[in-house]
Amino acid sequence: MNQVTTTQNSNGTSTARANHRRAVAPSVDIFENADELLVIVDVPGVPSDGIDLQVQNDTLTLAARRRDLEGAGRPEAPALVREYEEADFVASLRIPAGIDTAAIAAETRHGTLVVRLPKAAAARARKIVVRPQSGD
Amino acid sequence: MRPRVAVGLATPAIPGEMIMLTAWTDLEDTLRTFDLLQRRLGRAFEPPGALDSTAARDRLVVRRRPRAAWPATNVLEGKDAFLVKAEVPGLTEGDVSVSVEEESLVIRGERKAEVPEGYRAHLHERPSIAFTRKIPLPARVDAEGVTATLRDGVLTVTLPKAREALPRPIAVKAG
Repeated sequence: MNQVTTTQNSNGTSTARANHRRAVAPSVDIFENADELLVIVDVPGVPSDGIDLQVQNDTLTLAARRRDLEGAGRPEAPALVREYEEADFVASLRIPAGIDTAAIAAETRHGTLVVRLPKAAAARARKIVVRPQSGD
Repeated sequence: MRPRVAVGLATPAIPGEMIMLTAWTDLEDTLRTFDLLQRRLGRAFEPPGALDSTAARDRLVVRRRPRAAWPATNVLEGKDAFLVKAEVPGLTEGDVSVSVEEESLVIRGERKAEVPEGYRAHLHERPSIAFTRKIPLPARVDAEGVTATLRDGVLTVTLPKAREALPRPIAVKAG
């Protein structure tokens, strides 16, 4: 709540924070099917080498750095309209039990980050085959 | 944290929820309050037990970052060009069209971010949206010289100012 207020107040007045990179929370989708969790994150302006994705214990942490950050050392054109702040993105996600963390894979796609978290074999839903009684 | 003046009522009828109408200090907060009110009003008309179904609960999911318009757009003014930047993550060149119409820049496009087939959604903050944004230009531009690039989900449109919009020095003569 405080962070949002600060962001709104600082719109258009970014000269004082030349070396201070700011970060905001991105929009996130989390989908699930029988085999995996699929996480899609909006990271506009972030090239694939600007993505830092870490798994530690049961937490997935994302830090995404924008390519061109306004106010970072170069003169900024005056803004007539400012609806978004050019900031980095940070997010973290609690990985639920049953995910094969060694097999987590990610790719960037036109300013979105797609992370696939496959379920461990033991955690996948299995259909139990019911056989008729044997021996007759 | 700024002190807030409560001008409304506080009725935590649902455990863990607190509704308080406050002065217009924080837009985000106010929107959240409206969301909560709407959800609680919605609940009042639901038959008992109706919220037990997943579909009914999904209707109550509120997007975390409500935005007035999509895509979010910045307009910057350089010495001899305007720069319009729009955040369109997930879009490629084929998904977006840019044109200069009269005194405006018009950006049209569609972003598809539906729940993929066979998946269910735990969190769905990225909107699926077909959009038309008309951005009024503060001065005449050279429509022929307008260029647009799309890189990593950011659309950048450069609009050179028309010759008559550029600053022109006026010689002052002695009278």
